[in-house]
Amino acid sequence: MALDGKEFGFIKNDKDWENFLKREKLKDYSKIPVKRAKVGGWVKFAFIFLRIYIVIMLVLIILGFLNII
Amino acid sequence: MDGENAIGDGGFDINKKLEELPIDIRLRAIDRLKVTRLRHRKGVFTRLMLILALIGPGILVMVADNDAGGVITYAQTGSIFGLGFFIPLMVLMVPTAYLVQEMTVRLAAVTRRGHAEMIWKRYGPFWGAFSLGDLVIANSLTLVTEFIGITFGLSIFGVKPLFAVLIGIAFVSTVMFTLRYHKWERASLIIAFFNMIFIPLVFFARPDWSLVASTFLTWHINGGITTLFIYVLLANIGTTIAPWMLFFQQSSEVDKGTVPEDIGAAKRDTFVGAIIMAVVAICIIVLTGTVVFGSGIVGTTTSTTSYNISFILKTIASKIGTLPVELFAIGLVDAGIIAAIALTAGTSWAVGEAFNWPKSINLPFLEGRKFYIPGLISMFIAASIVLIPNVPLGFLNITVQVIASIFMPAALLFLLLLVNDKEVMGKRVNKRWENVSIITIMVVLVSMSSLYGLSLVFPHLL
Repeated sequence: MALDGKEFGFIKNDKDWENFLKREKLKDYSKIPVKRAKVGGWVKFAFIFLRIYIVIMLVLIILGFLNII
Repeated sequence: MDGENAIGDGGFDINKKLEELPIDIRLRAIDRLKVTRLRHRKGVFTRLMLILALIGPGILVMVADNDAGGVITYAQTGSIFGLGFFIPLMVLMVPTAYLVQEMTVRLAAVTRRGHAEMIWKRYGPFWGAFSLGDLVIANSLTLVTEFIGITFGLSIFGVKPLFAVLIGIAFVSTVMFTLRYHKWERASLIIAFFNMIFIPLVFFARPDWSLVASTFLTWHINGGITTLFIYVLLANIGTTIAPWMLFFQQSSEVDKGTVPEDIGAAKRDTFVGAIIMAVVAICIIVLTGTVVFGSGIVGTTTSTTSYNISFILKTIASKIGTLPVELFAIGLVDAGIIAAIALTAGTSWAVGEAFNWPKSINLPFLEGRKFYIPGLISMFIAASIVLIPNVPLGFLNITVQVIASIFMPAALLFLLLLVNDKEVMGKRVNKRWENVSIITIMVVLVSMSSLYGLSLVFPHLL
């Protein structure tokens, strides 16, 4: 689909184009690595709590559904 | 220079520049060029066009949240509990849903990555796989309820289940696999518009509006706090705030091309969507709360299986005629289709993000088949389950909502971590009041989920 360049006169040259791509974040982000987060402090406790919570809830729900069946 | 010729200074050709980009980014660049062009122009009409161009994911996620399962849940809620507690609760759900979803807008605009990708890459494969597995299972189960809604709704017009399922698959596949993001979003918004059919429907019931208004003062619970109340409350919360919504909106904003400059518009989009969601939910509760709860036909039956959707619609037909039932059925089919479109896309986006596969609706089907196939598979599995005879559909519907609410705290925790991550969000991290709000929501959800789990094992606890 070809665009009518007249409609997009706010991009006049390569510099404008590069600025447009940068401002609109138009790049392939899958090629840019993401740094792993440091897990410490309250986050570590939150993860432990989350693990325990999930296990307890799964057990309770399974037991509950077994009762219903 | 504006409006002079197609090729600018030094032979600059915008089409050549676009050709240099990969196809998904090229199509997004074209959409963004149109948005930028609107920003450069003045006038009321242009302003309106800009607003329309920037709406999308927020309204879609909220309307898709009023899915077939949600519509059935609201109908059951009104039938069992009448006009009371659940009406003001739905109003309370507007800021709650908005607060949660608004964070995904900021995350998408700043990181330009989906929720699944951010969890996987920032917190490692264990939590990444957990979130993805949780999402794919929940999405697939929810898709079953969408096909239940589509099948049931079309059965009102005499369409056989097999044809109803095929119509649903054809509709979703056509939108998903033949339209690229911008057109996919516009088509989905048009389908979403018909979700509002429930608003005029409520007037057929001639509800006592003073009674509706009084619920905001009393928050009265008909029958008091029972296991059934907790069950229905969780199902309502589960259908209003679900994990898939976080993943869907973040990915959708990324695919749309939302950047920090658009955050304000995307927030308004989300807020409008939240209001539509609540208004539709309230209308359904008021409809069934007036017609079915007040009917006296039901005697003493007070369970979600007694109040299945067939029973509810039969009662509506006997009380106020068949036209409201047909309109309800159209709404149910529409709710199923819009949610099926969102869930299919959501699954594809999440899998693509987690495994670093292509992940854009801007990709043509063959080029992006790796992206489309997970959504396609989940849709076929869900559609097949619906065709199995004697599947306990009503029970399955409520179960899906409950499972979603049990996993929601995990999804919220990652959302909270990511929006407070200065390395990721910079100055756009959460403000203190936003953290207090989301932590309050998490505490309520964890308490309700735990209570529900205990009430299943110990039915006489409550």
